[in-house]
Amino acid sequence: MQPVKWLVDFIDVRLGVREIYASELKGYLLPPKVNVWYTLGAVLIALFKLQIITGILLLMFYVPDAEKAFASIQYIMNEVPYGWLFRMLHAVGANVIVIALLLHMLSVLFMAGYKGRREFTWLSGFIIFNLTMGLCLTGYLLPWSQLSFWATTVATDAAGAIPVAGEFLVEFLRGGATVGNQTLGRFFALHVVGMPLLLLGLIAVHLFCVKRRGVSSPPFGKEYRASEPQPFFEYEKHQGGIPFFPNYVVKDAAVICFFIAFLLAIIFYAPGMFFPESAFQPADPFLTPPHIKPEWYFLWAYQTLKIFPSEIIGLGVQGLFMTFLALLPFIDCGPERRPAQRPLFMTCYVLGILGFVAISIWGHYS
Amino acid sequence: MDPNAPLPLQRRKFLMTLLAGLGALIGAASAWPVFRFLSPATAGSGSDQVLIPRGDVASGKAHFFQHRGKPAVLLQVAPGQFVAMSAVCTHLGCVVAWQETAGEFLCPCHGGRFSAEGQVLSGPPPKPLESIAVELDGDQLRVG
Amino acid sequence: MSCVVFRSVVLVILLWCPVVAFAADTVCVECHSGQPGALGEPVAAWRSSVHAAKGISCHDCHGGDPTNFALAMSPERGFIGAPEYDAVPAFCGRCHVGVLDAYLPGMHGQALDAGGAQCVICHGSHSVQKAGLELINENDCSRCHDYDRALEIKESLTGVDTRIKAMDHDLERLHRLGFATDSLASGLFNLRNQFHRIFHGVDVERVRQESGGVQTELDQLASAVEVIDDTLAQRKLWGSIVIALFVLAGVVLVLVRKTYEEEEQG
Repeated sequence: MQPVKWLVDFIDVRLGVREIYASELKGYLLPPKVNVWYTLGAVLIALFKLQIITGILLLMFYVPDAEKAFASIQYIMNEVPYGWLFRMLHAVGANVIVIALLLHMLSVLFMAGYKGRREFTWLSGFIIFNLTMGLCLTGYLLPWSQLSFWATTVATDAAGAIPVAGEFLVEFLRGGATVGNQTLGRFFALHVVGMPLLLLGLIAVHLFCVKRRGVSSPPFGKEYRASEPQPFFEYEKHQGGIPFFPNYVVKDAAVICFFIAFLLAIIFYAPGMFFPESAFQPADPFLTPPHIKPEWYFLWAYQTLKIFPSEIIGLGVQGLFMTFLALLPFIDCGPERRPAQRPLFMTCYVLGILGFVAISIWGHYS
Repeated sequence: MDPNAPLPLQRRKFLMTLLAGLGALIGAASAWPVFRFLSPATAGSGSDQVLIPRGDVASGKAHFFQHRGKPAVLLQVAPGQFVAMSAVCTHLGCVVAWQETAGEFLCPCHGGRFSAEGQVLSGPPPKPLESIAVELDGDQLRVG
Repeated sequence: MSCVVFRSVVLVILLWCPVVAFAADTVCVECHSGQPGALGEPVAAWRSSVHAAKGISCHDCHGGDPTNFALAMSPERGFIGAPEYDAVPAFCGRCHVGVLDAYLPGMHGQALDAGGAQCVICHGSHSVQKAGLELINENDCSRCHDYDRALEIKESLTGVDTRIKAMDHDLERLHRLGFATDSLASGLFNLRNQFHRIFHGVDVERVRQESGGVQTELDQLASAVEVIDDTLAQRKLWGSIVIALFVLAGVVLVLVRKTYEEEEQG
C-alpha cells in the first residue's frame, strides 16, 4: 500500500485531491430515499462514452463518400477483425441510448424532478434529448444503404410542409435538390464533430445544474413534504443522506452492467432487431424500396404527419407538443410532487405514454 | 481478512475481490477486440515475389514498385542487366530518387547519395540500400 | 460529339427513371388500368408479378413509347402488341435466351407448330411469378398429356430444387446479418438459372446428368455458408460468456450496495 499512498500524497500536495474527494465524492450526499431510477443519468453517460469509443474506431475505416460509404461499412462488417462488433455496438447502442433517455425523462416526469427551481436542469436535458435525436438522424444516413437514403429523403422532405421557406429549407438541409453526396458530407460532419461537441458541452451544463442545485428527493413516503421554493438560491442538502462515492456509485455501476448486458444480448441474440432488409442494400436514388419506415423512436412523428389532413398541421402539432414539453417546468409550477396528489398530470402522463405507443404501433403497421 | 471487522465489511471485501476478477475479465474481453481491430492487416501487405514486365524498365531508367509493403526500385543498369533494391534510404527512411543523368540515387531529405548498385557515395546514410534478387523469366522480371 | 453523347445519356436516364422508380407511372398503365375487360386486366395481373417486382414494365416486352400518350402504341416506336401463339417463345426468349435455347429442341419446342406447350401455357403471361416446381402439377400438365412423364421429371428435379431454395433462404438470412453474400448469391442465381434452363428441354435423362454437376457446386456454396455459420456460433458463444460476465458483475455490485445499505441503516 505504501507506493499508492506515496502517489496520492504526491498528487494531493499539489492539487488537494483529498479535499475534492471529501467534499465532492464522499461528502456529496444523495437523498436517503434515492431509488434505482436515479442511476439512469450515469447509465447514459456510460452509453455515450461507448458511442464515442466505437465511433472513433469506426471512423478509422468509414469513408464519407456516396460511392464508397456502403462498401466501407461492408468492409468493416466482413473484413476488419471485430469490425462487426463495433459497428453493431454503435448502431444498437444508439437505440439503447434512446430507450435509456426515454426512461430517464419518464422517471423525472413521474417524480416531478423538474420542480423546485430546476427548470434549467430540465431544459438542458430536453435539449440533450433533441440533440441525441439529431445524432440518430444524421448517423442513420452514413451507411448509405437504401434505408439510410430513403429515410433521410422522407425526413428532410417533411420540412417542405413549412409555408414559404419550406422548399428552400428542404434543399438547405440536403445541400442540394435531392439527398446526395453533399447531404452525406454535412450529415457526416455534424454527426462526428459538430453534434458530439455540442452534446459534451450540454452534458456538462446539465451535470452542473444537477450538482449546483442539489439532487431532488423522491416524492414518496411519509416524510415527504411539498415545499414552496425560496425566492433566493438554495442548495438542497440531504443531511444524513447516502454518500455518492462509494455507496451509490456501486449501484450506478450495477445498472450500467445490466444495460451493457442488455445491449450485448440484442447484438448476439437478436442482431436483426433494428435492421430491416433495406439496411443491407446499397442506396439507389432511382428505386424507392417498399414499406420504408423511420426508426421506432421517430414513428410517432412520422404517423402524426400522416394523421392530419395537411402536413403543416401535423408539423405544427409536433412543434407545439415539443415546445410544451420543453417549457413544462414553467407551466406545471405548483409545489406538489407526489404522483397521487397530481391527478391531472398523471392522467396526461399515462395517456401520453399510451398515445405514444399506440401511434408508434399504428405508424409501424400503416 | 480481519475476523473482528463488522460483517458487512468482511462481505464487501470478499465481493470486491470477486469484482476485481470480473473486472479484469471484462477488461480483457473489451481490450482484445480493440487490439485486433487496430492490428495491422497481415495479408495483402505484399507478397514476397513480384512480377514486373520487362518492358516497364527501360535501360538507364528506374522503376519504383512495392515489395513486401515497402517501396523498392528496379534498374536496368546495362542492357539486359537488372538490379533491384529497397528504395528506402538507410538514414531516416525517406524514399531515394533516381538521378538519370548522374546515374545515382539521391535522397531528397538529407542529401545522401547512393550508386546504381546501392552503395553509399556520400552523405549521412550508414549502410548501403538493401538489395533484392532479380531474375529474368521470359518477358517478366521476377523480383524477390 | 460529347454533347450528343451527354444528351442521349441524360435522355436515357430521364426515360428510365420514371419507369424504374415509379413503374406504375408509364402512360401504358395510366390508360389501360382504367379500361374494362381484356384491355385493363393485364395491368392488375402484372402488378403482382415478378416482372413488376423487378421493374420490368409493359413496354419492355410489348415495345412502344411509355412516355408519350400519342405514340405509345406506334410501330415506329417499336410497338409489338400481343404475339401469335407460336411466336411466344421468341417473344419471351429475347430476354430468357438460355431457356429458349433449351426449350426449342425439346419435346414441347418441337411440337410448337402442332400446338405444343409454350411459355405462357405453364407460366401464365402478365401475372408471371418466380418459377418453381409447383408449376409441374397434375392439373396443368394433364390438360395436354399424361401426368406420368411430367411427374418423373418433377421428381428428378426435386432434390436439387429443394436444395437451391434452402440455400437461397440461408444466404438471405446471412445477408440480413450484414454478411457480404453477394458473390455467393450471384453464384446461386446462375446455378438456379442453369438448372431451370436444362429442364425446359423436358428430358429426364438430361436433367439427371446435369444434376450431379449442380449438386457439386451447391456443395461448395453449402460449405461457404457453413464457415459463416460456424463463425456465428463462435461469436454467440463468446458473446454469451461476456453477457454472463456483465450480469455477474452487476449482481456482485448490487450485493456490494447491500453491504453499504446495511451500514447506512446503522
